[in-house]
Amino acid sequence: MAKTDYSKCVKCGLCWSICPTEAISWTPGEYPKIDPNTCMGCGACYERCPNYAITMERLPEPKIVRVDVSKVDFKKVEEICRNAGFHPEQIICFCTGTRAKEVAAAIILGAKTPEEISRMTGVRTGCKVECIQPILRLLRAVGIEPKPKPGRHAWYGICPTVFEIPKKVREKYRARGFYFDEDEMLLKKLTRGEAKV
Amino acid sequence: MPQYKIDKSRVIGPPIAPLPPAPSIYGVDPKYVKKRASELPNMVSIKISELFPDIPKPLWPPPNPKAIRDATEEALENVDMSPIKGARSVNILGSHHGFTILGGEPYAEMLKTIKDVIERKTGVTNIRLKVGVGLRHRESEEYIKRFKLDEYFNGKAYGISPLDPGVPIETEIGTFYGLRAAYDADKIVHAHNTDVREVHFHRHVDRAFKPFGMSYARLETRSAYHHNLGPRGANFVARAIFNSKFVQDKWAFSVFLRASPVGILGVYADNDLDRLDRRIIVDNLRYYGKVMRLLSKIDECIVVLDYRTPIPYTFSGGVIFANFTGLNIDLFDLDNPLPPYTWYTEAYYDEKDRPLIPEVPPVNPAIKVIVINYAWGGYPSVFWSKMFPVIVVTKEQADVYNRDPQNIEFMKHAVIAEDLETAMEFAYKIGKTDKVIVFDGVYGAINMSKSLAEYLVEKAPEVDEEVEKKLMPKWLKQRGIPPEEVLCK
Repeated sequence: MAKTDYSKCVKCGLCWSICPTEAISWTPGEYPKIDPNTCMGCGACYERCPNYAITMERLPEPKIVRVDVSKVDFKKVEEICRNAGFHPEQIICFCTGTRAKEVAAAIILGAKTPEEISRMTGVRTGCKVECIQPILRLLRAVGIEPKPKPGRHAWYGICPTVFEIPKKVREKYRARGFYFDEDEMLLKKLTRGEAKV
Repeated sequence: MPQYKIDKSRVIGPPIAPLPPAPSIYGVDPKYVKKRASELPNMVSIKISELFPDIPKPLWPPPNPKAIRDATEEALENVDMSPIKGARSVNILGSHHGFTILGGEPYAEMLKTIKDVIERKTGVTNIRLKVGVGLRHRESEEYIKRFKLDEYFNGKAYGISPLDPGVPIETEIGTFYGLRAAYDADKIVHAHNTDVREVHFHRHVDRAFKPFGMSYARLETRSAYHHNLGPRGANFVARAIFNSKFVQDKWAFSVFLRASPVGILGVYADNDLDRLDRRIIVDNLRYYGKVMRLLSKIDECIVVLDYRTPIPYTFSGGVIFANFTGLNIDLFDLDNPLPPYTWYTEAYYDEKDRPLIPEVPPVNPAIKVIVINYAWGGYPSVFWSKMFPVIVVTKEQADVYNRDPQNIEFMKHAVIAEDLETAMEFAYKIGKTDKVIVFDGVYGAINMSKSLAEYLVEKAPEVDEEVEKKLMPKWLKQRGIPPEEVLCK
């Protein structure tokens, strides 16, 4: 987990603004505080602190976070995943190996923001980069469109998908080698595929 | 019929010493890398220029900073810098990737030269260097220190990360997010390299544009690239951002270090990125295409990774290991929807590692064992330890993955050997082959076992012919380039 060296910290709050689990509390002019219970050891603060004031320490025992998909209605899980354009078994976080069905289960159990999902499943705590879109798409599939908290920039918003690319754009760029129609068919085929708990 | 014959005595030589390990927070302390794969018994190297004589002679290797400076100056001679005149600030945008090629010195020299030429031709002195990263958020800071770029840029050289504050960019398909620090100048210069690198991601479609969707982009954009657009459409994220009014109002020109399997061939610079991209396509399909198709002929091998990059980015003959993982199919052929390794593919395996759809191709069956003598963390790599037998040399190297939040389960599927010799002994037993290929960042030659060298040398002429006559016309046509324009060999 992350630990602050207060002799180097300048109270800038950058660590607070990017923490994917909101494990760091901070108010302007104060030192940040790291909650050991919610810190997942992702190292975002360690890698971006401008004053190298964060170090990473190994926990005596590994921390395991996981949502048990069998505890929720799998039909609902499937519905959320497929509405978001994912196969339930599909990996959405390559660092933690978390699958779409586990994120959907977290949403069914009450998660309403990427941070809550990260605390329940561990997603966004590896590279901190690649899995934000699936999370936002899965939330949108149940009508939740979260807004980032003012001052934080852990994430901004949802971006376009292949499903929304207009026909004229597809035609304009096809000759360059962008096979949008074929890729869309492939992703749709995947989404329709059989799934189990 | 093959067009030429190979003289084995000129092609096969002693192994080439790779660059030494480099200190980094993403890798093992260099003191733990006690022996390199090129020092193993029965190792040789094959010279790429002898296998494919049409690849031009490189400027580097051997190291030659002046040649890079001269080539950059010459390439910039014909670039119109009038858009920069009067600008209050210019950001030269770079990428960590350039520093992984030949240890980074050629790229650093090109960046320095760009600054000097801009100053001389425009009078603008407020020039900043902003260098993007992959998933190792301090990597570029390490290069900036190593090459003293902060001093050269008068204290204005910065590593920028996808975690840093962003700026929305409106494109013809919707909103993406760029890095505010990349675009906080009146004008930007796109300073990249032509290395093919992640063919599995960009499929060599608009390759020259990729950093606009990656190194200069926020995490939302990069996530969209790898989850939202599809395996052949992903790089459109970059094209859409580049075409936006926001970027077009700032972008002045592009400068590319011209990489090849034999080393640095020169520098390209242009005010027209489309034109530059077409030049890169033709170069890369021909030169990298041949080396990649040659490596695809390997029927069985032990792979040794031994370079100062994460697992997928270790190089052999200019080809990254991630591409070798998928060379059982033609990665340049856009009729193949999914490469054996890409994040779209990795996502489509179930919990028992069975493909979710039949379109998922198997990984390269020629790879029997992977030995990791030296490779960094900082890239999610469990795919490789799940798909192949993996032996990691030393517990210190294993600890690199154990402490890496991107590789929390990597070592669950790998074993540890005390030293390289023991690892190889085990690899020979379980791999049941004496063919070894090394990914150690050497350019111009490929370090490998003598048995593999003799096997591959025989294949080069037929590969050359296959690429020139059969594959190049198809690859070019798929990318909208009339083959008759360029196939004048």
